[in-house]
Order: sequence, then C-alpha cells, then structure tokens
Amino acid sequence: MSFLEDIRPVLAQRFGSENLSDQERARCGYDLRLALDQERLLELAGLLKEAVCYLEYITAVDQGQVLDLLYFFGRHDQPPFRLQVRVAMPKGVAVPSLANLIRAADWQEREVYDMFGQRFAGHPDLRRILLPDDADFHPLLRDFKPGPQHGGEVVNLERK
Amino acid sequence: MLRKTLTEDSFYLNLGPQHPSTHGVLHLLLKLDGERILECKPLVGYSHRAHEHMGQNRTYLQFLPNTSRMDYLGGLCYNHAYCLAVEKACGIQAPERARYIRTICAELNRISSHLLWFGAYLMDLGAFTPFLYAFDDREDILAILGEITGSRLTYSYCRFGGVSRDLNQNFRDGVKAFIPKLRKRLKDYRTLVTKNVIFLNRTKGIGVVSPEQARDWALTGPNLRACGVAYDIRRAEPYSVYPEMEFEIPTATGGDCYDRYWVRMAEMEQSLRIVEQALGRLPDGPVKTAGVPQWLEPPAGDYHFSYESPRGHLGIYFVSDGGRVPLRMKWRTPSFNNLSILSEILPGTLVADTIAILGSIDVVIPEIDR
Repeated sequence: MSFLEDIRPVLAQRFGSENLSDQERARCGYDLRLALDQERLLELAGLLKEAVCYLEYITAVDQGQVLDLLYFFGRHDQPPFRLQVRVAMPKGVAVPSLANLIRAADWQEREVYDMFGQRFAGHPDLRRILLPDDADFHPLLRDFKPGPQHGGEVVNLERK
Repeated sequence: MLRKTLTEDSFYLNLGPQHPSTHGVLHLLLKLDGERILECKPLVGYSHRAHEHMGQNRTYLQFLPNTSRMDYLGGLCYNHAYCLAVEKACGIQAPERARYIRTICAELNRISSHLLWFGAYLMDLGAFTPFLYAFDDREDILAILGEITGSRLTYSYCRFGGVSRDLNQNFRDGVKAFIPKLRKRLKDYRTLVTKNVIFLNRTKGIGVVSPEQARDWALTGPNLRACGVAYDIRRAEPYSVYPEMEFEIPTATGGDCYDRYWVRMAEMEQSLRIVEQALGRLPDGPVKTAGVPQWLEPPAGDYHFSYESPRGHLGIYFVSDGGRVPLRMKWRTPSFNNLSILSEILPGTLVADTIAILGSIDVVIPEIDR
C-alpha cells in the first residue's frame, strides 16, 4: 500500500475531507492539496514529521487581500508522494512558525518573510535572508513597483 | 576581520564574503573559541538577482536564458528542467530524439559539475594536481557541449518542444572519445585520491550528517545519498528518457565528507553509463516539435515540477492565470537547503575542517541567492 493511500484517510479525518482535494499528479506535480487553518499548522507538521515526510519548500502567492502560504511536503519514498498545504493568511497577520519543529523551515520562512513580508510567530531568528537588512520593501508582493531606488527601472512586458 | 567580544573568551571570525574557499560570495560568521567553532551563521544573498521577480514579469520563453544563470555549473540541467516544467503544463511533447539529446547533454553537464567540484574540493584540502586533471576533463565536456549549444556555461539550448539544433558528427566523436578517457581518469582518481591517507584523514568522520538530520534540514542530492537514503528524482519521479536507462543510485552510509565525495565520484560513472546508452539508442527524427507558439499560455492553475540537478532536488513551481506571463514563479534550489545545515554540523569542529565540510556540500552560491 502506498503512503498516499495510508495518509489520505488520516488527513481527511483529522482535518476535514472537505478541505482535502485530490490532484492529478501527471498534470500539476503533486497528489493532494489540503486547505488548512493556521491554528492547525503545527499539528499537521508534527503529524507529517512523524510520518517521515520532509518539507520541500515554503512559498506564497499574493492574492490581493490575503497571502496564500504554500507548504510542500514530500517523502523519500517510492511511489512518490507530494502534499501541498495551503494556508490563506490576511496580510499583516503572523502565522505559527514551523522552524522549531522542522529545521528546514528556518531559512524557508525567512525567505517568505523577505519576499512577501509575512511574519512567522515563534521563529527564532526572523531576518531578511536574500535582500539587504535595511531594505524597506517586499519585492514579490503584487503592488511592488521597482524603481531607481532599487537599482534601476525594470523594462518589461505589460501583462496581457 | 577579527572582532573580540568583551564578555567572553571567544571571538568572531568572518569567513568571506570574499574568500577563495567559499566558492563565491558566501559569508560565514563564525564564533570561535581558539580553533574550535562554537557557532556558525551562514549569510547569503550577496548575488541576489531577483530571478523569481524577473520570471513573473516575462513570458515563459523570455525567461529561458535566466535559468542557466542561476546554477552556472548545471546550466543545462536548469534549462532542461524549466522546459520540461512548462511543456508539461502546456501539454507539449518533445520528439523522441530531442528527449535523448537533452538527457545526454544534461548528464554531461552533471559530470562537468561534479568534475569541477572534485578539482576545487581537493584544492581546498591542499592537493593541487587533481585540480589540473579535473579541469582538463571538464574542458573536454565544455568543448563537446559548446559544439552544439554555442556556449560554455550559460546554455540556452533546450527549447519548449525540443532543442535548438541537432547533434553533429563532432559531438558524437567527442563523446565517444571522452567516455573511455574519463573512465580511465576515474581509475586514476581512485588511486590518486580515494585511497590517499592524507585525504582520508581530512574527510573520514568529518562533518557527519545523520539521515534524520538530512531529512529535517531537507537535504537532497548527493548530500542526502551519502547518508544512506537512495532518493534520486530520476528514479523517484522519472522524467525524460530516464525510465528507459539502466543506472544505479550510488549511496554511502557514513554521511561524512568522504562519503559525499565517494557518492559524487560514483555518480560520474553512472552518468557515463547513461550517456553511453542514450547515444547508442539515439533514434532518428526531428529535434523540435513543429507549431509551438512563441507565446505559451498554460491553462490556469498551479504546477510543480521536480528535477534532479547535480546538487539535488530542483523544484519549479509556477502559477498561471492562463496568460502569457506567470503570476508566480518559484524555484526551489537544492543548495539553499543544503547550505543551511552548516549551522548545525559546524559547531564543535575546527576551523580547518570548516573548509572541508563546506566544500563537501557542493554549494553554488548564485543558485542559493537566485
């Protein structure tokens, strides 16, 4: 029995089957998507850590009023397994940090903070990681417009 | 360079950002008690070029040349990965011949990346000769790849739906001569380095990473396989023509510097096997799918793609709204996580071992900084 078949009912039971959706791996590259409330993030991460999953990466997508935080969990296993956890956060609200539970989250959360300004409550060292410490902007937010103060204007195409 | 703290008997040492052993602009802030490291903070971002931001402001094709500039040692692999990711989202299938050519080129690129690492690593440890030999071998690969790609490092060879041009006779002859040459050289390296007592003393039992630590810090690639976890995306989530290839996944069990070295050396042999098989079975036919539009418009949705780069799990994630420009473009680069483990494994070791451990992780800084 594959890990996916094992974990699917557990996730559906604990986090609600209405929040869990099957994805077509051949198309989008992951098996499951779980929409999660931020309060239960640590509980989920603990569960996945116990199930010897690893945190592949954390990223975010700016949706205007909210920031969709995306956590990808994978497994060193055959057949492959990949879970996308989606936590919708109103901008400016801190989300619990996973850094004390999963060490890989330390830098990954710092990157999300750096690029999107998302704060992580309980992170041991939430500093910028790629941009200079004195930067006053978060460049992957949609309302960010690069200008001369960021090292020159960006010449680009307009969105269709 | 040295900063003495007033309250303790320890001091800070800045290793980098401009230091020949940090392989690029990496800055390690080390807290030392004499020669012993108490704390290590890697500081990155010196070569941040906003690749993700650029990806979100360009069409898919316009972003293609950026890909090989992230990891300049595995540029073709990054090209390949990006093309596969976009092709999958758009439902484009590259012709059989192109898929073989891409695999051959990606594996040659992997070998050249490992060779450069091998030479540079041994130089870090004080051995100069292997460096000259490795660069001689690597130069052959760069010449072979230059023959069809037109570039030495920052390739833009793959296209959506194929490759930019077909192989020529020089390429075939070059590869056919190179395979036995490198096999002989790998034997030389074994006698010169692998059993060398000085090398063994510098690397055995140094910088040990357990499989649990590796998972916790999301290590991938040879660094993970050196801990005994046989996880390779080419096997776990096969792409291109890898399912048809016979190759092994070398693993070691110690998780120390020596094992990371050993895994990469064994991987080169496996890559040679793949190149040999793929070149032998190379089918005829076109190398590009006809009718791929210049402006690709993947259906609305989000897409993830995993690829085994020379340094580990390369993940490409992008969100499309159905338009020509992605809404979000994220690159999970393997060195980012591979480097972060330094803050865990360096404390307790000596300064001299720092270089051995850092080198053995094989990081490419521009890939971390993006």
